[in-house]
Amino acid sequence: MKETKGKKTPPAQANSQDQAIKTKPIMPSLQDNLELIRSQLGNSSDIVIRELSYPGGDGLALAVVYTDGLADKQSVSEFILESAMLRDQMTRGEGGDAVRVSPQTLVNQVLSISDTRDVPNYGSLFNALLSGETIVLVDGYASAIAAGTRGWRDRGINETLTETVVRGPKEAFTETLRTNTAMIRRKIKDPNLWLETRQIGRVTETDVAIMFIKGIADDKVVEEVRQRLDRIDIDGILESGYIEELIQDETYTPFPTVYNSERPDVVAAELLEGKIAILVDGTPMVLIVPALFVSFLHAAEDYYHRFDISTLIRILRYIGVFIALFGPSLYVAITTYHQEMLPTQLLYSLAAQREGIPFPAFIEAIMMEVAFEILREAGLRMPRTIGPAVSIVGTLVIGQAAVEAGIISAAMVIVVSTTAIASFVFPSYSLANTMRMLRFPLMGLAATFGLYGIIIGTFAIVLHVSSLRSFGVPYMSPFAPLILSDQKDAIFRIPHWAQFARPRLINRNNRKRQQKPSSAKPKP
Amino acid sequence: MGTKEKISPRQFAILVILCAIGTPILIIPATLTSIAKQDGWIAACLGIAISLVLVRLYIAVGNLQSEKSLFAVIEHVLGSWLGKAVNLAIVFFCLVTASEVLYFIGNFMTTQIMQTTPMQAINILFAIVVMMGMRLGIESLARSAELLFPVFVLLILVLAVFTTPQIHLERLQPVMETNMKSMAWATMYFIGTFSLTSFLLLTVFPSDMDSPQAASKGFYRGMLIAGLVLVVIIVLSITVLGTDMTARQTYPSYALAKKINVGHFLQRIEIVMAIMWFITIFYRMAFYVYGALLGMKQLFHLKDYRPLVWPVGMLLVALSMLVHPNVMHSEEYNRSVWVPFVSTYGLYLPILLLIVHAIRRKK
Repeated sequence: MKETKGKKTPPAQANSQDQAIKTKPIMPSLQDNLELIRSQLGNSSDIVIRELSYPGGDGLALAVVYTDGLADKQSVSEFILESAMLRDQMTRGEGGDAVRVSPQTLVNQVLSISDTRDVPNYGSLFNALLSGETIVLVDGYASAIAAGTRGWRDRGINETLTETVVRGPKEAFTETLRTNTAMIRRKIKDPNLWLETRQIGRVTETDVAIMFIKGIADDKVVEEVRQRLDRIDIDGILESGYIEELIQDETYTPFPTVYNSERPDVVAAELLEGKIAILVDGTPMVLIVPALFVSFLHAAEDYYHRFDISTLIRILRYIGVFIALFGPSLYVAITTYHQEMLPTQLLYSLAAQREGIPFPAFIEAIMMEVAFEILREAGLRMPRTIGPAVSIVGTLVIGQAAVEAGIISAAMVIVVSTTAIASFVFPSYSLANTMRMLRFPLMGLAATFGLYGIIIGTFAIVLHVSSLRSFGVPYMSPFAPLILSDQKDAIFRIPHWAQFARPRLINRNNRKRQQKPSSAKPKP
Repeated sequence: MGTKEKISPRQFAILVILCAIGTPILIIPATLTSIAKQDGWIAACLGIAISLVLVRLYIAVGNLQSEKSLFAVIEHVLGSWLGKAVNLAIVFFCLVTASEVLYFIGNFMTTQIMQTTPMQAINILFAIVVMMGMRLGIESLARSAELLFPVFVLLILVLAVFTTPQIHLERLQPVMETNMKSMAWATMYFIGTFSLTSFLLLTVFPSDMDSPQAASKGFYRGMLIAGLVLVVIIVLSITVLGTDMTARQTYPSYALAKKINVGHFLQRIEIVMAIMWFITIFYRMAFYVYGALLGMKQLFHLKDYRPLVWPVGMLLVALSMLVHPNVMHSEEYNRSVWVPFVSTYGLYLPILLLIVHAIRRKK
């Protein structure tokens, strides 16, 4: 397998001084510690440092540090500040002398917050502080406590926008990693669902989690994912697209070799097939590897509806792929080179339509396709409020007016719009983009060599997809190599009671889905 | 997770089918009917039987050194110097024949479909995809064959089913009218174009198979299926077009495809039918080129043949423009030179290898 081509990053930006701070242990003196925190963070105004001292004691005894907005203020005041202060009253000695409390006692007896841990050095202190935890420092002790108080405003769980269904769960992932992992856990309550987190990005230190079901997922692939993630050396990860580009097998391909979804049920289903999910903090898009070509044509709903209609819809999608890829190029090739293929009546009507058109079919097709792509891109980027204006301009000007003005033939409008609609039947946007990109070279080939050109282009595409692999799994399986047992869930979707085994190339050891196949079938 | 390139038995069977059908599917009905008249199909059936014996021979050669490719086996058996000379000859054969296939494609396209397009353009385009396949390696090639095979089967079925209404079975009569001499000659010609070239499959068999035993079965099965497809095409040509028309056509199957007419709507779809010929010709040419590349790799002790891919591709395009000055030359070559030429490598060489190996082992 080819090594992932990691993006070349400039030599480590963190200079040696930063490195030194990161490994610097916590100092015993509270004053020094607070001084260092302040200076390192440049006195940023969102860092709150609350200092506590015991009456009668010698100066400061305790400091609570947290980031405003990332830490949940209520838990900070209720479970940390309040308990520390009350405890202080109780532990005051007989003569009113302050009793020094060790961090150990603090954790064990004082702080009533559920999640605490020791931080040994400044590297982990800053990391904890800046990810919303609260740091408690005690004077005289060279250690610090990080208390789990993460709590910030997030979007909340909304309905999915990119993968809508008629039947099935409507929830979608959010931007918060913890919420997302919880949503998957809610669907799979198995102790074998393992979660590994690491931080990637030297500056952003983004949390990236690998999720897989131990025993179902192939250990080798899990190891490969770990290795590829560990190889990443980049300053920032802002979306899972960064990770996707950094870990995919082949960069120079129009085909997506990493699947992504924002639906927890899709991710859960893929985990059950033995795939591995990669969740990135800050984005609702979860990556799934290994990805096969067929999974880009499977929608979540296929498994919720009855199998017969699901199969029909899948076949429809494959027809959609064909139209989206070849639609305009076939039209160009047939009208330019192979008119004999058309029934005579149709040929007359096409010729009549094209009579006044000043352009060859290829130019016409390119013009229409480019116009459509511009419209589509405009529809995505423009402010929502002026959406209707663009669609009116699009339909009227490009559709009707262009035909009436004799610039474009009506048949071409039909072909281009059919192609456009066909490219929307894919459940996956990534694959729709592939078709968009490949359409244009095919049109060029059709214009120069007719059907021969299209065939040659198709050969090239077929050869290319046959050479692709996603994390070691051939991209076109189960078609090439043909795996008969996996045909149950490729073009067809046979009833659930007949789906005994998981995909073969993804699971090599644990393939059984159902223990007693014969009992699963409903009795007549 | 680096895996060695391996071909499954099923993929190998498909490769055998596509390679063996190759170019003959377009032209063989014409030659066979011109030699053996309406009995051409009997010659083809005889040819299949002999081809299966040939497959036995090839498997025996392949098993001499099952982990090595054909060229390494030749060097091993015949010794370094003689082996190298023979390998050089095979490379020459592969290059010439591959460029001939390219000429064939160009000629077919420019005479039948796109009369005004220069042949160079068509040849260059075809060479580019073949070379792309070579760069991606034999495993990708095998998988792509698996993807394209259903298309091929569908098109063959469409061709066979939609021409059935026009079959006139009486055109096959009288059966066995031809004399033995022309029957033998037709059979030889059939074997020459159909199965003798399959010795090039030894470049991948059995060294690149994941289970050589099953692949041997695939070899027989593939050869049998390919032969039957050709017999069907020959019979259809004779019964639909008639013996005379078939013999007179340069590309009788193409003429056959023109006859498809379903309800005056689905007609003149011969260019769609041509897709199946492109598929088979693509894989046949791919194996000639693979043979040339692998032979060069062995001759020059290279680690990988990939640096040679584009230079060889350019060479092939140039050769394809020179190999035949015109169609008559090509016809003459096919009828008189081709059969002895190919049997040198496809028949005598394997026998020689087996004999030499047996003698040397006894010593």
